[in-house]
This record gives sequence, structure tokens and C-alpha cells, in this order.
Amino acid sequence: MAISTTIYNTFFRRNSVFVATIFTGAFAFGIGFDTAVTTFYDRWNKGKQWKDIRDKYVQPADE
Amino acid sequence: MAFNGLKKAVTLTPSVRTLPSGVPAAPLLNLAARAPADPHAHGASGPRSDVAPRWAGGVSRTSSGLVSKSYITLPSTTPFTARFIHTSVAVKSAPEVPDFSHYRANDNDSNRALSYFMVGSLGLVSASVAKSTVTEFLKTMSASADVLALAKVEVELASIPEGKNVVIKWRGKPVFIRHRTQAEIDEARDTKWQSLRDPESDEQRVKKPEWLIMLGVCTHLGCVPIGEAGDYGGWFCPCHGSHYDISGRARKGPAPLNLEIPAYDFNDAEGKVVIG
Repeated sequence: MAISTTIYNTFFRRNSVFVATIFTGAFAFGIGFDTAVTTFYDRWNKGKQWKDIRDKYVQPADE
Repeated sequence: MAFNGLKKAVTLTPSVRTLPSGVPAAPLLNLAARAPADPHAHGASGPRSDVAPRWAGGVSRTSSGLVSKSYITLPSTTPFTARFIHTSVAVKSAPEVPDFSHYRANDNDSNRALSYFMVGSLGLVSASVAKSTVTEFLKTMSASADVLALAKVEVELASIPEGKNVVIKWRGKPVFIRHRTQAEIDEARDTKWQSLRDPESDEQRVKKPEWLIMLGVCTHLGCVPIGEAGDYGGWFCPCHGSHYDISGRARKGPAPLNLEIPAYDFNDAEGKVVIG
């Protein structure tokens, strides 16, 4: 059986499965999108954020 | 009826009325009309140069005498030819449509799967957009970072000796922190709390047995109880005489509930408690 037919029979044939797949996918997509954007943002602003430079300022205060 | 009479008068044929001379009155029919000027005609007067068509009648001489015929169904004035869609139309035994095989999909199944996939992708993106719209809108209602920063209080626990109370201010309210001795802990734990007015065990009220942290507001009418006082060795509210025990539970007097426990966390690394 072709892979398209398999996909159709698995996900699209029943509307309940279709909708459930969409919501599950939206959930996973939200997490993945957030993670991707955060990772990109952190890499783009490397060395500028407080969590990157915190070590320079906090350590002397503890001593 | 007058209406009918009027209507009849309108629909009368013009030939009904006759002129005094006996000629039918036809006001819009010009009987004196002549054919357009013909260069081959002999002047304006004389016989008509155009001949009436045969179907319009006219006397003809036959073997049975003079006959005049008018044809109601007129013969065509032009030679009749059957009209086809195209002059060089091909004669086919059965009607055929153009060949669409070049445009048809090779695989209907993959096409169907792709169509549903696109529909599902649109639904997925729409669901994400709707979800983030709602959550981002709700986030605007939550407290901002500066408010949250003010809403917390850190207290260094090492500065509180055993058996002492500390009262600090947190969100405008007093908070009692008691460093309980072992005897006080045992007393709080041994109490039969099931029969109390607001039954709560000491384990439910403290995270670490030696640290009792609670809101210093009497649950009766909101006075601030006095520490290390009362019949039960805990707190005593001077306003209306409510007694609280060493776990902050209401034992006597009008207070309906135990002293409230705020949300707090221990920071073991720095020896602090963070209230809020």
C-alpha cells in the first residue's frame, strides 16, 4: 500500500481522529515553536542577556 | 364599466372608423408612400418602380381564370442552407470531449492525502493562533514582573534564634515566623486536632517542623494577635480574646479559622525563606 493511502487511513478517514491529530499537532507545534524561537533568540543575543553575564557580577557579592 | 369601455376604445382597430369619404381611417398609415428614389425610375410620378413580391398577392392569369393569392407562410427570401458550428465540422459517430488525460493526476490517493494534509495544516496553525491569542490576552491580566518582585519577601532564618518570634511585613500584612523548639513541636503534634474548630494537623500547616510561618491576622475581625500569649502557649488576640496554639490553630474565642498560611518556600542554599 502506498504511504499516502496509509496516512489517509490512519489520520484522515475518521473525523474524530483527524481533529484529535490536529489538536495534538497544535500542542506539539506550540512547544516546538517556542523552543525554536527561544533557542534562536538566546543564540542571537549571546553574551548580552543577564543570565549570560550574571557570573561576572554576582560572584563578588557572595564572597 | 367605464374602465372596460375605455379599454375597448383603445384596442379598436383603426379600420373600424371610416372617413366620410368611405375610406378606412388609418392615421399612422401613409397610403401615399412611394418607394425610395430609384435612378432608373421615370420621375416622381408614374407607376411604382418596385414590384410587389409574389407572396403579397396580385392577380395572375391561369387556365381557370384570374387568381389572386396571398401567402401567409412566407417562403424564405434567401437560399436555405443548414448551419453547422463549423463549416468543416468532422462527422463523428459519438460526441467526444477533449482529452484531459494530460491534466489528470497520476495518483488520486496521494492527491487526496495531500489535500487533507493541507486542510489539517491550516487547522493546526489556526488552533495554535487561537491558543496563543487567548493565552497572550490572559497574560496581560497577570501581574507584571515588578509587581511580582515586590510581592515577595526574603527572611534570613539564621538570625532568628530558637523559641523566638519574628514579625515581618508582607504585602501590607504582618507575617509571624516562629522558630519552634522541640518541645513546642511535640506539643503541636500531640494535640488531638480532629476535634478542633478548624481541624488541621500540624504537618499540614508547616513545611519544616521548626519553622512556623503564618499570616498574623486574626481570622475573626483582622486584629494582630500577640505572640507567646494565650492559654495554649501560642498567640492571643487582644480584640475579642481568641486563643491560638503553637501551631496557629484557633482553640478558644470567636475566631472561626486557624491563622492563614501564606505561600512560602525555603531557600536552603542561602538559609532563607521566601514568602510569596
